[in-house]
Amino acid sequence: MSQLHLFHEQTARQRIAAVTDAGSFAELLPPPERLTSPYLAQLGIPVSFDDGVVIGHARIDGKKVYIAAQVGQFVGGAVGEIHGAKLTGLFKAAARDRVPCVVIIESGGVRLHEGSAGEIAIAETMRAIFECRARKVPTIAVIASDIGAYGGMGILSTCCDFRVMTEHGRLGISGPIVIEKWMGKKAYDSSNRALVWKTSGGKTKYLLGDADALVHDAAGAVREAIGKLLTKSSPVTLKNAKARQKELEKRLKRFGKTADPDDVWKGLGVRDIATASLASGPEFAALAKAGRK
Amino acid sequence: MEKFTKAFPSKPLRVPKDRQWALAGVVGSGNLEVMFERAARASDTMECHVETSIPGFRDSWLAALADFARHYPVGGTKVTIHDQGAAPVLVNLRLRQAYDHLVKTKP
Repeated sequence: MSQLHLFHEQTARQRIAAVTDAGSFAELLPPPERLTSPYLAQLGIPVSFDDGVVIGHARIDGKKVYIAAQVGQFVGGAVGEIHGAKLTGLFKAAARDRVPCVVIIESGGVRLHEGSAGEIAIAETMRAIFECRARKVPTIAVIASDIGAYGGMGILSTCCDFRVMTEHGRLGISGPIVIEKWMGKKAYDSSNRALVWKTSGGKTKYLLGDADALVHDAAGAVREAIGKLLTKSSPVTLKNAKARQKELEKRLKRFGKTADPDDVWKGLGVRDIATASLASGPEFAALAKAGRK
Repeated sequence: MEKFTKAFPSKPLRVPKDRQWALAGVVGSGNLEVMFERAARASDTMECHVETSIPGFRDSWLAALADFARHYPVGGTKVTIHDQGAAPVLVNLRLRQAYDHLVKTKP
């Protein structure tokens, strides 16, 4: 796949083809199987052949991986029963076969039309992710599109060993519009794109340590980042959980009362906000690193 | 939601049989997904299944599909469409894209 394509503009199937070895992808439960949502059909809403997620196995630098990519344009990439079951099965297969699993996320969370079934499906997928982690099978979430990873998919992404993000990606639990509805426009203006991306976008998430890699918006860069993480895993231990808790407490103490996301950037090493805003993935990371010295 | 099925006469598909299906488009607002599959049945018709969220445009659909079957050799295929309000010109574009994916040896 040509490097001229921006990763966030590609379709789910193009993204998988672009980050894996040429011709190595074999789709599981492909469109001709017609595993579509029974709930949407009952409600008279058009269904999709793959229920909004493409799953299968492929190779990256010759190494076998299980891989999934969500289709953000189909009901916002939201997780219904079938969609979630496909993800659960993929991670279970990864744990069973001890093969790394990559999920390219583009989802607002659970599909409201099939809420309970979707919630349960996400919970089951998280369980399968922890099965992988217990066996030291690497699990990697890629968050690189404007839809990002919200709701249940935001939580699910943080259950994985690692997160690869681009500056387009966003990660959170409640989406901007939901926060605005609850807290008021004064507290959080969801139409302010700079504010939204500065609070939940890839750059900020990387500074805070929620994303493990911040890369250019190109399939080659995403692929390289995945390749580096395929041989690593982050064990789930009491010691690590406690250390993480300490980090989060420190973060809350330091930035909990901050109203301006620029203060967070400054606090984490960004000296020139304007330059950093224009810098892309790795350049931004380098600026922040230099600033911390 | 409106559903209908119809077969249209078309010249037989002339490509090697390694590719069994092809997909184009996505079920999003003003968009549609089109899947071509090789059908076991007659090689001189294109069998169409349409599901659309916008009822009342059956005649336009049938005209667009008949036109496509006349211009492209797609006999022996089954076309399934999930539509969420696409304009006719986009329907035609997706049909052509899916056909391209089906007949090209490399994606």
